[in-house]
Amino acid sequence: MNRLRRSGARSLGRREALAGFLFVAPWLVALAVFHLYPIGAATYLSFTEYDVLNPPEWAGVDNYVDMWNDDAVWLAARNSLFYALLSVPIGLAVSLMLALLLNRPVRGVGIHRTLFYMPAVVPPVAGTIVFLLLMEPRSGLLNTAIESVGLDGPAWFHDPRWAKWGLIVLSLWGVGAATLIFLAGLQEIPQSLLEAASIDGASSWQRFLRVTLPLLTPVILFNLVIGIIYSFQVFDAAMIVGGPTGEPNGSTLMYMVLIYRSAFRYFNMGYASAQAMVLFLVILAVTAAIFGTTRRWVHEGI
Amino acid sequence: MKRRNRPGQMGPMVVDRRRFLQLLGAGGAAAFLGACGGSEETTTTASAGTSGTAGTTTTAAPQAVGLDFWLPGGSDPFCGAFRTVGDNFAASGSGITIEEVLCGVGEDEDFTERILASLAAGSPPDAVIIWSPPVVLASRGAWAPLDDLMASSTYSQLENWPEGVLSSCRWDGKIYGLPATASSYGIFYNEELLESKGISSARDDFPKTWDDLKAMSAEFVEWDGDTLVSAGFIPPYDAIESAIWSATNGGILYDADAKRFRLDSDQNIEMLDYGLRWLNEQYKGDWVALTASGNFTGGGYVDDNGRPPAFHAGDHAALVNGFWFASDVYGVEFDGWERWNVAQFPVGPSGTSTASGFWPNWCAIPSGSANPEAAFAWLDYLVVEGMREWFSQVPDIPTNRQAPDDLFPQAIADQRGDEFASDITRFFTGQLEVAAPMWTCPVQDFMHDRISEAIDAVMLKTATPREALTAAQEASQAELDDLLAG
Repeated sequence: MNRLRRSGARSLGRREALAGFLFVAPWLVALAVFHLYPIGAATYLSFTEYDVLNPPEWAGVDNYVDMWNDDAVWLAARNSLFYALLSVPIGLAVSLMLALLLNRPVRGVGIHRTLFYMPAVVPPVAGTIVFLLLMEPRSGLLNTAIESVGLDGPAWFHDPRWAKWGLIVLSLWGVGAATLIFLAGLQEIPQSLLEAASIDGASSWQRFLRVTLPLLTPVILFNLVIGIIYSFQVFDAAMIVGGPTGEPNGSTLMYMVLIYRSAFRYFNMGYASAQAMVLFLVILAVTAAIFGTTRRWVHEGI
Repeated sequence: MKRRNRPGQMGPMVVDRRRFLQLLGAGGAAAFLGACGGSEETTTTASAGTSGTAGTTTTAAPQAVGLDFWLPGGSDPFCGAFRTVGDNFAASGSGITIEEVLCGVGEDEDFTERILASLAAGSPPDAVIIWSPPVVLASRGAWAPLDDLMASSTYSQLENWPEGVLSSCRWDGKIYGLPATASSYGIFYNEELLESKGISSARDDFPKTWDDLKAMSAEFVEWDGDTLVSAGFIPPYDAIESAIWSATNGGILYDADAKRFRLDSDQNIEMLDYGLRWLNEQYKGDWVALTASGNFTGGGYVDDNGRPPAFHAGDHAALVNGFWFASDVYGVEFDGWERWNVAQFPVGPSGTSTASGFWPNWCAIPSGSANPEAAFAWLDYLVVEGMREWFSQVPDIPTNRQAPDDLFPQAIADQRGDEFASDITRFFTGQLEVAAPMWTCPVQDFMHDRISEAIDAVMLKTATPREALTAAQEASQAELDDLLAG
């Protein structure tokens, strides 16, 4: 009798499991088709000579050796690293500042939140074009503002010394998404903790530094990791501003542009796959390194 | 009493919620997989008789061939023109209809990517218009050779194409495209500005040498501090146009017969060196200040920064552009002047004669096209009979010698009269006769990017002309050798 019951339960369990698999099947299929297969294919192709039109030919590690000797790869890597090292912390700081402002109980705060998020849904191409107008050297709004305080505005995208900085300024256009995530994190912080700190005599700066910031660290971690991944993948803005050669003088040649031109401009899919694999591994390593430090600075729970 | 089914034991007509969802999931998955699968069926039937040159097997079905025709994009009227020509072609008794005209693929996709994907999937369109030279993808097997079809065609025999322009379609001795139109290049200049300095504005009097052009340019250069207020002529800075300047200095960028680049030849080094000296003499040696000052390098169009062209403002005496610009020039309002004209390129210190360049719209038939013969019949019709309609929307110069030769851009005629419009068209048609070899390199974009980097490095003074061109030469030749070896 018990055996029959156990058998029935196992059968029911299998059916439940099958039903569960069926429910997640579409996602699993999409994961396999649109993520795992491309990753596997790119890994394989990175060891081949491939131009889409002809079958791939095994090339061993030639593509990786070529990358090592390719000045453009190092230039793009330097540019992307510079961009990531500056745009991510600046973006985090700006989005946190905006979130703190949007967290204040002021009239029309819903409208303000919508306004700050709106740029995040504007197509990147349109946003970049708007910034090109704003950053026009002689009569653009940005330089006009700079000149109004008695300074000379830079030539931005016309000057190799300033073009990357221009892209970093442009990246702030998309801080709305991170701002909303910070805002959600801020609203999770119990008021009782902040009130307790106030009663203990903490100033607003001390409350921010000792209470708010530590409790926000999981959100900072999330935004940091996502920000780094996105910063290494900047493409639209760099391509519009500098084209496939990263004008002026290679200063805006970002790593994703390099991959794009290798694949779709020069039809070296194998080489582009190798470049993509290296980017994947670098991002993986950076992310792992960040997660390795979380014990020291991320405070889980309240 | 209502009958209940035990879990897993369902009556023949009863579907509970779980079962329904399971079926829904299975149906959805089947539909998804079905949608991903390719279709063996096509809506077209091949023309009768012979096998296609594109390597497909045709079946006998003499009536009503339908074709898919792709082009990179354009305005709605331009795209519509091809539908009109297609309708005319069908009405001519060809038995071929243009079923689909795909005109551009939107902002999120690149036209070449779409073609590559269709070729890789084995379902390419029947015929295409492309804006990059056929040799690039022909060298990789994308296009069908057209020699046999051309020989038996109505209009497209070899002798009906200017050899210089047709050479942009030749790879390893075979023709892989038809240069349907090929607008040539010239120097556009502001007649009124020249006259204001007492300089003859007649075309025949325009500077014939680089030295003369530089001297003329100096008359118009004006700075206000670090801001360039007015320019004469900006020394060569465009990678595509460098083929023309090289030719006017007796040089060449790429030797198609030898499959060798000549980027670091003495003539080309001299070309960049001359441009650098020009920059130093007239533009304070400061390329950043020049480009930041205003739109002097946008080719007469509104630039990325939204700045109107200095040419239209009357602050820029002369610039290089193609025949298409003769119509596009009216897309921006002229600021207080209206008389412009065009002239030939001057000759460099090491050159002996003028030269020009061209930028075609190429037609090609993908390898694996289902209907190569019908597709070629359509292209053969398009490059001659369709030219009047094409030109009415986008005035590019028809290249085939059988095409109408009485065309001129209406936009020019509306502003300056029929005679001037005809004269301009004749000028640019003549420029095709002195066109330098262009678009013959299978790694064309790679080469252009390297030249662009070289010019950038020289103008921004991070490399000498010799260093920059040597680097471009070595990189381009390595890329080509790699392709040829593969």
